[in-house]
Amino acid sequence: MKKKILALLMAATMVLSLAACGGKKTDEPKASTSAEEKVTLRMAWWGSQTRHDRTVQVIQMYMKDHPNVKIEYEFFSFDDYFTKLKTLVASDNVWDVFQLGGNFPDYMSKIYFLNDFIKDGTIDTSKISDAYLKITQDTDGNQIGISNGLNTYGIAYDVDMFKAAGVPLPTETWTWDDYADAARKIKKATGHFGTSSFTSSEFAAGCTTYIGQQGKLGEFGFFNLDLTGMGFTDPQMLAPYIQMRADLIKEGASPDAGAEMEITNIENDFLVTGEAGMTWVAVNQFPTIYDICQAQGRTLALATLPRVTKDGNAGSKIQSSQMLCVSKDSKHKKEAAEFISWFQNSTECNNVLLGERGIPVNEDVRVALQASANAGQKIMYDYVTLVGTFKTPEKVNVLSPAGQDQVVDLYRNYIQQVVSGEITASKAAELTYKAGQSLFK
Amino acid sequence: MTENKIKKPFSFKRFIYNDNTVGYIFALPFILGFLGFSLVPMITSLVYSFTDMTFGDDEIQFIGFGNFIKLFQDEVFLKSVRVTFKYVIISVPMKLTFALLVAFLLTRKSRLVTLYRSLYYVPSLVGGSVAVALVWRQIFARRGLFNVVWTDLFGADAKVNWFGGNGKLAIYPLILMSVWQFGSSMIIFAAGLKEIPESYYEAAMIDGANGFHRFFKITLPCLSPIILYNLIMQTISAFMVFTQAKIITEGGPNNETMMYALYVYNTAISYDRMGYACAMSWVMLVIMVIITLIIFKTSKKWVFSEADS
Repeated sequence: MKKKILALLMAATMVLSLAACGGKKTDEPKASTSAEEKVTLRMAWWGSQTRHDRTVQVIQMYMKDHPNVKIEYEFFSFDDYFTKLKTLVASDNVWDVFQLGGNFPDYMSKIYFLNDFIKDGTIDTSKISDAYLKITQDTDGNQIGISNGLNTYGIAYDVDMFKAAGVPLPTETWTWDDYADAARKIKKATGHFGTSSFTSSEFAAGCTTYIGQQGKLGEFGFFNLDLTGMGFTDPQMLAPYIQMRADLIKEGASPDAGAEMEITNIENDFLVTGEAGMTWVAVNQFPTIYDICQAQGRTLALATLPRVTKDGNAGSKIQSSQMLCVSKDSKHKKEAAEFISWFQNSTECNNVLLGERGIPVNEDVRVALQASANAGQKIMYDYVTLVGTFKTPEKVNVLSPAGQDQVVDLYRNYIQQVVSGEITASKAAELTYKAGQSLFK
Repeated sequence: MTENKIKKPFSFKRFIYNDNTVGYIFALPFILGFLGFSLVPMITSLVYSFTDMTFGDDEIQFIGFGNFIKLFQDEVFLKSVRVTFKYVIISVPMKLTFALLVAFLLTRKSRLVTLYRSLYYVPSLVGGSVAVALVWRQIFARRGLFNVVWTDLFGADAKVNWFGGNGKLAIYPLILMSVWQFGSSMIIFAAGLKEIPESYYEAAMIDGANGFHRFFKITLPCLSPIILYNLIMQTISAFMVFTQAKIITEGGPNNETMMYALYVYNTAISYDRMGYACAMSWVMLVIMVIITLIIFKTSKKWVFSEADS
């Protein structure tokens, strides 16, 4: 009998401990704003190792200055971040402070608008211009988050490889024909890829820009301004671009699907490894690869995106690289907003971050960072200033609709089908258009 | 304990000392796990498959069979079905043949047999792991080990672009990886081979049967129940292949390696269409049930059972 009781007890303990694992309720203390009480904020972001190191450092600085705030942080690679975020969304347990990019419409139900915090001064926006606040607002003017930095796309290229191939260096008004021509000549002269393709940038920097460059200023966009449908009506507007991409791949001037897969992040893009003459970059990535190539004795430069015609629209848009948001699940929204305000406005904090997330939106911070910029960062600042002088439509849309990933995957697949001769570029343009449309049904 | 037919009033003491109670309590961790991690999610996913559910969307609408109808107009889905069937049809027979062959060779009475068996089992131990898939990806890359050796042997023109070009070759490294992990089927085959009485072979040898005869007339029929078991297990697991496709090729190029499970994952996680993905996994369940049933039904024709003869 004794044995049985013992066994029963052990089984019961097992069950209890199991239940304890499963049944952890989020019984955190009730929301409170009193300063004495200890507040725990959870925060997460994605990015490179440099970003992780710098962000952890500023979090520790913040906790030192605010002894009542404890910040628990997690960081991930881009894909893992969104996998994790989706599970947290499903369990109503999103981090208090979290990072989002242009894909925020997917997470609208979890974003706490910052409008009131800006009104009552919890978040200081006195040094952030309205234009820069606007890049992280939704179409109704609600403040989704505060931008971590300004960003825009460009083409990074290897100066010596251009010279070796006898190709004139890109100008501000170079065209897609010049671009394709340069890629072919580099391939011919050096045997390397003319242009690499860090895939996550290509759709935004190439495909959608190509549409915006056509017609009158602001006439077309890939999606329309309020993200309720497509921003152009004739699918064939895409066809020449798709044809060019497919031709370059076919001729070996651009990596095919197999080679593309070897690029896992910007640091091992073929441009950086010396196997390509150009690549697409979001400019906040430029200082990092500039430094890497400099160490190898190579010089990189940054060119504007090619245009459809020499005197046509630039199509470039200055946008927010990512932003920090407050989640609706947060029990300490005010403290979370206070942290965001410090993160974006404190010069001391940004002297550690060094604009790794993009060019800071706060004027004072920007001036302070520009003063101490190194060569690669200086090129980035000059480039963004240059793009800022381009004529832009009054209203631009820098956001992407929910589900865009599927369109991008399909689009990339259609290009591969053009390469293998399964379909024509004109058919690929039609199919891509249809894929885009299906998001709004 | 003697049986007592008279009904006694309920007593907690008797309840807790009852054999059944003890049994249930011991089984409770499994029962809870099964309910929490298998049954409830399965039912939930069945419900979701009739909705347009996405993560973070509070308004879930029932759309009837909408998802299922859409599936059959989805080119990527149809391609993923084709690709998965191709993978199963090529990889499973190759894997089983290989496993049987090695198991047969290792029936010899030698002291090294155990060592060899363990060695051949190693790939299956590390089998589904991401690390091996990453290595595989490197080996078959444009400048990977395979191409280095290949171009050394046959000149630079012989270079094989496994994951590029029109993509038709991309599935074969994945198949090869699955065939390479033949260990668990091999162990089961080896156990089955041991069960075949030595006297059968002796009798056949006296009648003048050669090795070829002995294998096809004795070994294969006696082993057929084991073959059936392995066939079903391997077919089911081949349909669920995910890691290789996700890590080595990410489904590309041109969706030539877009395995069913990978597309389900992409749809649910990357494209955020949970309802659609749930519908897809239920279609997969139906397909797998049908395939398994077919194998079972036809097995009566080729599986030899000693009780019948």
